[in-house]
Amino acid sequence: MKTAVVTGATSGIGLAVCAELAALGFAVVGVGQSEERCASAASGLAAAYPDVPILFFRADLSRQAEVARVGGEIREYLEDRRFGRLEALINNAGCVRGRYTTTEDGYETVFAVNHLAGFMLSGMLMPCLISAKGRILMTSSGSHKGTRPRWSDMMLKRGYNPLFAYKQSKLCNLLFAYGLNERFGKLGISAYGIDPGLVKTDIGFKNAGGIVALVWKLRHRRGVPPELPAKIYARVCLEAEAPKGLYYGMSGEEKYSRQVNKRNADRLWELSERLCGMKLGADEK
Amino acid sequence: MTVLITGAAGGLGRAFALECASRGWDLLLTDINAEGLERAARGLARQYDVNIYPVACDIRDDGQVERLLQYAGENGLKLDMLLNVAGIDHEGAFAGRGFDKIAEILRLNIEATLRVTHKALAFRRKTGTFRIVFVSSLASLYPMPLKASYAASKRFLLDFSYALGRELKSEDATVLALCPGGLPTTREALNGIEAQGFWGEATTNRLEKVARKTVSRALRGRKLYVPGALNRAFSIAARIVPPSLLAGLLYQRWSRAQAKRPAADFM
Repeated sequence: MKTAVVTGATSGIGLAVCAELAALGFAVVGVGQSEERCASAASGLAAAYPDVPILFFRADLSRQAEVARVGGEIREYLEDRRFGRLEALINNAGCVRGRYTTTEDGYETVFAVNHLAGFMLSGMLMPCLISAKGRILMTSSGSHKGTRPRWSDMMLKRGYNPLFAYKQSKLCNLLFAYGLNERFGKLGISAYGIDPGLVKTDIGFKNAGGIVALVWKLRHRRGVPPELPAKIYARVCLEAEAPKGLYYGMSGEEKYSRQVNKRNADRLWELSERLCGMKLGADEK
Repeated sequence: MTVLITGAAGGLGRAFALECASRGWDLLLTDINAEGLERAARGLARQYDVNIYPVACDIRDDGQVERLLQYAGENGLKLDMLLNVAGIDHEGAFAGRGFDKIAEILRLNIEATLRVTHKALAFRRKTGTFRIVFVSSLASLYPMPLKASYAASKRFLLDFSYALGRELKSEDATVLALCPGGLPTTREALNGIEAQGFWGEATTNRLEKVARKTVSRALRGRKLYVPGALNRAFSIAARIVPPSLLAGLLYQRWSRAQAKRPAADFM
């Protein structure tokens, strides 16, 4: 039985992906922020898919200490119960913030949750992913286009704009996938950015504040239900031969920004290693 | 430049630390929350190439503040700036809560803040201007029912700041009082802003901007900084409107806001 780890798994796209993968016979490990929501997502999935193991871990992925803790716990579970193998890691947890806020580590929240948490978790689960020649999927977005990383101020301290923070973080997701393929491709790892399109989720209502909730209230109505993009994730995870592309959406492989290149990917990789205090390279393993 | 920041583990203190580090200044950071301080310091060190000295300390305790500054002395740190951020608020009616909570506000916001300032002056760099910032509050400008002790404690800092500034003029030190509105720092603070509805949103300042401009203004030797045009208008109105009328208006506002959420503490 294959295993998938999904972050941001208690609602929206994450929950739909859990259901889709459970239906396809994956053992599902979900990560969510709130105890109650984890419990209700777990019981809902367990009732619908009684034949596969469903397990949820609670963690606030904005805090690096929490990412490290939950990463350790998941790895222990995989080693004890799933033969140390992880076929799919779906770094899906994401947020928007209407205002500049920092995490307890002093990092800008959107960057910390949408990118750094996934970087760190991928690093912690890498041995299990390598054992299974696993796939790593990032929930990116078409909104990554038309931006470039603001290298001089990645945390946007000198000028915060909610939309730019989000777009940049989604560009980082693709750059991370690019970097993963470069470094771990020869070990059988494949990484992807997924474009779910405009989806009817609650992302803009969760602690976003400011004008974001208002804008999202108008915009999210036009979104598709999360069950539709969940199929993209399932397809990329299931395909017998790992898909060769980097960026997949509803219509298959999609074009991505020219900013997604080796130079930017390497630079982000180096910065992420420094900010997470960990080395993530094929040689270290 | 070396800067001492109290309450540096979270919120505005952490934002100041980021601001100062981005200017390439060394930081002596303190907070009562040792673990949080360690995390913030680590994050700062990973982002900026500056020297960071985190020393956890309860600034209400004389001995601990002595040790903090002794540490500074042993490491050859000479202070160029002091940012007094550590503070606390317990909302609610004066008679409606235990006196220990009231005393805590006074001890931390006033006594401890002055203790750090008094002792830190001895560790200032002898050359160059010394900059002191007190984090007062927009609340300091009015009598504030249901936040009476907090607002009055911040008023103390505001008046004290002006007076100290005059005393230290001949010693090449400047003192700035910062009077921000709501700041989006902790979850509780954000809940508080949301519970106040429109006026909460309107008086809320941008954290990163307040941190940057406060430091810039302190460097220019300014005495008062009220961030935000609306807040500045309020601060001017507060000088004209009679205090009893203000107290009446604010009582209405806070009782409505507090009905919408459980009383919360925020720094």
